[in-house]
Amino acid sequence: MRVSRSRLAAALTICSLTISGCAVRRVDSYLARGVNLASYRTYAWRPVQPGATGDVRLDNNEMFQERVQAAVERQLASRGFEKTVAAPQLLVHYHANVEQRIDLTELEPWESCAECKPFIYDASTLMIDLVDARTNDLLWRGWSQSNIDGIVDNQRWLEEQIDETVAKIFERLPFPFSGPLAPRESREDAGLE
Amino acid sequence: MSRHSYTAALAIGLAAIAAGCAVTSMNVSSHVRRGLDIGQYSTYAWAPADALPTGDPRLDQNPYFQDYVQGAVEKQLASRGMLASRAGTPDLLLHYHASIDTRIDVSRSEREYERCHSSDCSSWVERYEAGTLVIDVVDTRANLLIWRGWAQDSVEAFENRDRMRQKVTEAVRRMMATFPRAGSDARPPAHGGEQP
Repeated sequence: MRVSRSRLAAALTICSLTISGCAVRRVDSYLARGVNLASYRTYAWRPVQPGATGDVRLDNNEMFQERVQAAVERQLASRGFEKTVAAPQLLVHYHANVEQRIDLTELEPWESCAECKPFIYDASTLMIDLVDARTNDLLWRGWSQSNIDGIVDNQRWLEEQIDETVAKIFERLPFPFSGPLAPRESREDAGLE
Repeated sequence: MSRHSYTAALAIGLAAIAAGCAVTSMNVSSHVRRGLDIGQYSTYAWAPADALPTGDPRLDQNPYFQDYVQGAVEKQLASRGMLASRAGTPDLLLHYHASIDTRIDVSRSEREYERCHSSDCSSWVERYEAGTLVIDVVDTRANLLIWRGWAQDSVEAFENRDRMRQKVTEAVRRMMATFPRAGSDARPPAHGGEQP
């Protein structure tokens, strides 16, 4: 636990010192062409496939799943969507994935470097889909990738991370739906924070 | 340094040597359902040991491993006054899951040099086999997971049965230390994890 904490601290230091590949969070989204989400009002969860997350601590972890669902429901409710059982217009689905990543520092052959320790961390991706319940077409997908080293082991920290991640993803949902959509941000602006 | 602390330091050093090269720290933590009254539960049973393919012959069909895990858990639960259910529906159902994954870490040997020389610093990276033991506790009436504990460590030691037993016992003891006690509401410690 302490090891992972200090590793995270080291990671943050490295990230702030060098603009390396280890961004703390990257958020992006996709809106299908011609979709106007204003014409959708009700939603239901697509039955959760107890899929593998790549992390046995999170596989079939109902406490984790419920936290994600609650965070998504809050975001949807604040945008006027209503949860329903009968005949929903939207189906909501999420997928969480964790994998170990490694960032190696490339050196010139004559160099040796004390700061170039490879950076190894648990990277997590949370992806949220809004699907047309009738046609089963993907309407919108938002996702966030971040370093969660040491976070799963700390329940309170994980819960905060889930809430924040879901909120950041939904910031990219075009809203309000009516009126002209704001021009899409260029990819360079797309959420490196 | 006083004689006392010198002895203590020596003891720790010897213990580290006794533990062999694997002085890796065991990572232990848990998640608990919020707002839980643990006092409502008094009996438990093990879920049928069906879905336990670990993908590793050291753990699959290994009666010792199963015996060590169950024994250690039962001992911890007994110390909290929980009883193994003899008949009827138990309050809690226990389930454990063990797995072994190949993970990477900054290698111990390179760490000492604090410098990397190869062109991509890849000599810093080493693979190891990480074992994870997950214990789930399910409320049988509500059919809800109320607690999940886990311990992760290198499984080098598992070739030796005594070492495996030590590891499993330590894992379960530290994991169960995070299991909420009756009377306290189910709130995880402020900084997660348990204090060793």
